[in-house]
Amino acid sequence: MRPSHILLIIILVLFFVDGSLFIHSQRLKEELRSDEEIQKIAVAGLGLTDLCVATEARYTRHPAVSDPMAPFMDHPGALEHFPTGSFWAVTPNRYIR
Amino acid sequence: MAIIPKGLEKQFNILDFSLTSIWRRKLKNLGIMLVFALVIFLLGSFQMLTGALSNSAEAVLENTPEITIQKMSAGRQEAIPLAYKDKLRSIYGIRAIIPRVWGYYFDESSLANFTILALESDSMPSGNKLNLTLSYGHFPKITESGTAVIGRSVHDILGLGKRRIFSLFKPDLSLKSFETVGLFSEQTDLLTNDLIVMNLADARDLFAIPESMATDLCIYVANPDEIETIAKKIAGLLPDTRVLTKSQIQKTYQVVFSWRSGFASICLLTALVAFAILAWDKASGLSPEERREIGILKILGWETTDILAVRFWESTLISALAFIIGCTAAYIHVAFFDASLLKPVMVGWSVIHPPFKLLPSVTVADLMLIFSFSVMPYLAATVIPAWRCSTVPPDSAIR
Repeated sequence: MRPSHILLIIILVLFFVDGSLFIHSQRLKEELRSDEEIQKIAVAGLGLTDLCVATEARYTRHPAVSDPMAPFMDHPGALEHFPTGSFWAVTPNRYIR
Repeated sequence: MAIIPKGLEKQFNILDFSLTSIWRRKLKNLGIMLVFALVIFLLGSFQMLTGALSNSAEAVLENTPEITIQKMSAGRQEAIPLAYKDKLRSIYGIRAIIPRVWGYYFDESSLANFTILALESDSMPSGNKLNLTLSYGHFPKITESGTAVIGRSVHDILGLGKRRIFSLFKPDLSLKSFETVGLFSEQTDLLTNDLIVMNLADARDLFAIPESMATDLCIYVANPDEIETIAKKIAGLLPDTRVLTKSQIQKTYQVVFSWRSGFASICLLTALVAFAILAWDKASGLSPEERREIGILKILGWETTDILAVRFWESTLISALAFIIGCTAAYIHVAFFDASLLKPVMVGWSVIHPPFKLLPSVTVADLMLIFSFSVMPYLAATVIPAWRCSTVPPDSAIR
């Protein structure tokens, strides 16, 4: 067997794996679409503003209604110390009061 | 083989030679491919996870309150007087003003932070459909004092099991009991996992907030095109408030997960440094063994273009395979393993770990970005020294 044939088999295996993942993504998309309809009702009915991803600090639980200074407001000279603060970038609402 | 054109047959032969050459130095080449794939996996995982969260936020947060007003004092948010509702009545175009009481409850026994929310849900858009978001039960009615709807993680962390009653501490450390009358469905975990929804009166009692106050005001306008104009009027009328519009809230999730966050910057810088070291190592020249090989090939009659083609195939195969493997592994990591390597950083010290049922975001733009950061520099870094070496006389190369 020529080395290029072995390469072809490897490429076919990767193609098969990625093809399966593509089919998985299409199924998941359909599944999530029905979830999103329910989530939209929750957002509208409860006036939610944020995703529940991190709950350790109020500015990463509700970044949309926090201002950029929130991580440093605990006391004068406060340093931001929550791990999630390193993952989440500053909110865009920096010009709001 | 007669049906394959001669030029293509030559490329197949060169490809075979390149593969044999890669296999001859398999430890080195597989090592490079593994490191390469790992870096691409890291970049890809971050991009797919954050893209998925941004897409989810964009899809579901389209019904957030049109305008939210919070009272500010000394740079902090504080309770807003309900009397502000009367001041706003002079602004034409406001359809509804709905006060909300919400805040955080820290459970000292489990170290979990819950979000408490209370509002008159009947007045809210889709308020009459809210029961669809529950796996069982109903939302507390105004007359149902001491009842609550809770998120699934709250149920688990409080260890309720089949019990319905739980208690929370008020600021004076007296206990207030609640009966669970509903549990949020698994489908809304991404939004409601840490939520406890109750009556306005109960929330005021729990947080010791006077009846004349609320946490913020949600405002709905008659004409959505006038949201910005009305927001400006509110800001002028109530100078001690922060006025947030729906577009600002929606924009947040397009920005908070970006390469500008500290963690993402470190990932990106690490990847860049790794590629720079790899490129520098490659660009600094070929090993004496590789130079000798090129010299022998030239003596045997190989042309410079053939040698470049061998090097090109080698680099392309290593980098392209690493790219495909890295991206595939990143998808599997986000879709099937809840992005478990990134999740500890993303949720930090949170006790509540919401399950992520997310569709990894795979866009051509993101793949091109990762491709141009990884494959392109590697190709350039390997072909250029090979070209420099293949242009020297063969006798000096093997000497």
